[in-house]
Amino acid sequence: MLRWKYSRPLLIAMTVIFAILPFAGENPLSKAGLQQTMAVAFLYGALALTYDLLFGFTGLLSFGHALYFASGVYVTAILINDFNWNFILAILGAIAFTAFLALLTGGAALRTAGITFAMVTLAFGQAGHVFISRDFGGFTNGDDGLPVNSDRLPDFFIGVVNTKYLYLLALGILVFIYFAAWWITESSAGRVFAALRDNEQRVSVLGLNPNRFKLLSFVLSAAMAALIGAAMLIVSGSGTPRYAGADVTIALLLMVILGGPVTRWGAVLGGILYSVLSTRLNVLSQSSAFDSLPGFISGPLSEPAFTLGLIFILIVMFAPGGISGAYYRARFKYLNKGK
Amino acid sequence: MSTFLLILITGTGLGALYFLVASGLSLIYGLMGVLNFAHGAFLTIGAFTGLWISTKVFPNPTTWTFIVSMLAGGIAAGLFALLMEQLVINRLYNRHIDQALVTVGVSLVAVAVMGGWFGNDARFLPTPAWFMNAVTIGDAIIPVDRFIYIGVAAILLTAMLCILNFTRIGLIIRAGVENRSMVSALGINVRLAFSTVFFIGGFAAGVGGVLISVFSYGVSPLMGGSWLIYGFIVVVVGGMGSITGSAIAAMLIGITNQFANYYLTGLGDFVVVLILATVLLTKPSGLLGKVNH
Amino acid sequence: MSSLEVKDLHVTINGSHILQGVNFFVPENKVTALLGRNGVGKSTTLKAIMGLNPGTGSIKFGGTEIVEMQTHKIVQMGLGYVPEDREIFASLTVKENLALAVRDQKPNYDLVYSLFPELLTRASQRAGTLSGGQQQMVAISRALLNQNKILVIDEPTKGLAPKLVTEVANALAHVADQSTMLIVEQNLALVKAIAQNIIVMDQGKVVFEGGPENLQDESFVKSMLGVSGGHK
Repeated sequence: MLRWKYSRPLLIAMTVIFAILPFAGENPLSKAGLQQTMAVAFLYGALALTYDLLFGFTGLLSFGHALYFASGVYVTAILINDFNWNFILAILGAIAFTAFLALLTGGAALRTAGITFAMVTLAFGQAGHVFISRDFGGFTNGDDGLPVNSDRLPDFFIGVVNTKYLYLLALGILVFIYFAAWWITESSAGRVFAALRDNEQRVSVLGLNPNRFKLLSFVLSAAMAALIGAAMLIVSGSGTPRYAGADVTIALLLMVILGGPVTRWGAVLGGILYSVLSTRLNVLSQSSAFDSLPGFISGPLSEPAFTLGLIFILIVMFAPGGISGAYYRARFKYLNKGK
Repeated sequence: MSTFLLILITGTGLGALYFLVASGLSLIYGLMGVLNFAHGAFLTIGAFTGLWISTKVFPNPTTWTFIVSMLAGGIAAGLFALLMEQLVINRLYNRHIDQALVTVGVSLVAVAVMGGWFGNDARFLPTPAWFMNAVTIGDAIIPVDRFIYIGVAAILLTAMLCILNFTRIGLIIRAGVENRSMVSALGINVRLAFSTVFFIGGFAAGVGGVLISVFSYGVSPLMGGSWLIYGFIVVVVGGMGSITGSAIAAMLIGITNQFANYYLTGLGDFVVVLILATVLLTKPSGLLGKVNH
Repeated sequence: MSSLEVKDLHVTINGSHILQGVNFFVPENKVTALLGRNGVGKSTTLKAIMGLNPGTGSIKFGGTEIVEMQTHKIVQMGLGYVPEDREIFASLTVKENLALAVRDQKPNYDLVYSLFPELLTRASQRAGTLSGGQQQMVAISRALLNQNKILVIDEPTKGLAPKLVTEVANALAHVADQSTMLIVEQNLALVKAIAQNIIVMDQGKVVFEGGPENLQDESFVKSMLGVSGGHK
């Protein structure tokens, strides 16, 4: 059994501990700063998992996933600010809208495959980014960002002192998405997704329509991304065009590769690690930690992309399964020791 | 009428720049199946090299020093491309997704290094005075730089077509774009073709980078990103592996973009995405595409 | 030395164990025909020899082990390959297709143009617009331009009209005199005409190795190959 029999209880225990820590007296997680960082990290972990469902699991290389995330952020904000919707309804509305958007764009994109598919999704993602940053129709406030009207959010989400509730919200979303992904991948539809990744011909030979299942996978992961986007809106307080940009899409790719595709916990771990790493590296770059090094070393080192890019290259070249891949390989060796 | 002409020529000039970026991308994907996300970094490296020549080496820009800047930018980018191919792409032979991913990593690192060394603010690339002149055609007043982009792109296009059609390595590349394994089965080591294609692609991008610096009034480590995306769009529309396809698509997209921006206020990017989506959904291999990856 | 010795060759593709321990010997200066029903692994064997499929076991050409060698190096040792389905380059002209294949200092264009004069008249025609038969001529010519030590040919008459089959067969017969040849061919008349040695495969293994006289025996042909007699 490749999976360690205590891995599930361990995950549950860790989640409970993480949930309790902000309320448990003096510890690193009782500070609002780290709570905020971890909240964002949890959300990116969840987002990475939705991307893993699409890319790692179903084998659909999409370069436009950020579009659906951003859609969740912005539609929620617009529904709350401009249409005065109740915030729960706004979130549901955003998910519904995004699912519909994914149905349309995915339906079009899935008429192609492989690299062409990637390019179409890139185009749609770009279009979304342009739409948001150029503020067409006046909905999105362009590059200035779109803050959500905090009067319409529950009080326990407002204010620095309540950051721990944002933290709990993010953790809750992560747990929910994790279960959703687990349920989807273990379901019979999930088996079809995996089959699509490995050998599409076998799927159609079985009388199943591959495109329907691809579209299903596409819409499901987009809808989940929208939910995460809505949560991100609450956690960060406003939407910015960056959420729809190439940066996020590249980051998602890095997260899944870092953690390892297909294993579910790999993507989550990759997402959390990446998010924390890049925040920490950003802080580090503004500090004086590198000042003593000669200019041509300290310069690049103070750019987070340098370290992240280097790690990424090394993983792709030497450890293609990412962290979870390395773990399972080591475990396999351990189990077969002496045979 | 004069506005029409101005937009048409600006669009063609823009198309010329797109071609410089897209041509390398097209060949690299066509021959090797590698989606090169580092191409934007090639562009930026070329631009910075050109900047160095035009500021530190020859502080007083003349036409000749500018030509040197372009050549130096092209060579620097070409050598970097070659290095990347030898050190990294080569080791991932036939792992196409991993190759594409690794180029993402290289791009991040390269841009970060340049940002670390030079800062992210845009710097001005000095050009000979006559670049800022304008030419009168009929009643249209057209800045001269457009013609420079078109001229340089035309020269490079001709050079590439000559290499492809009149040299042995060009023959190998054209055959390899169609069927790489059969080329090996004729006893030819395709690796040399790979290196050649990366160098040529890098060179064109590097030259493009210098010209883009003139067009955008600045050199910065972040300049490569949006041009790379447009480069991809041009390659997909024109057809992977076809230089002529890239040239045609580049013109089409450059001109349409400018017209849409002017007559439909700012919808240029949208229209381009529309063109991309239309081509992909009707003829996924692109206008002149011949690749079967 | 241009003999080919294959020992215990295994090839697995996408999880299917296609070649399950293939053993045979291709003697120098003779034509060896590789026969068998569709799907038994004949093309896979040829591709493995050319390094186009990864295989384990041993393939020795003239004494040198080539099973792990890269394709282009194998070809440079003097193996001329004519693939199933021709695989000529459609966007290149006939002349360019031939020129690409040239490795020797003095390529044998005389031989090629004497066998297939059409290739000279159609030199500037894009190969993609050629008929199937003409494309096959290009494919075979590529292997004849160089002084190859062995010709490895996969179903050269497949899908060709009878007149063209004869033309190709004559060309092969002409060349067969002076070379070592390993040919996969379903057309038994052609095989009977040129082969001095036959190998029969079934289900990924070799089940018979011997002289071509066996092909005169109807029951042999029926049981080994599942067809009766031969075409013209």
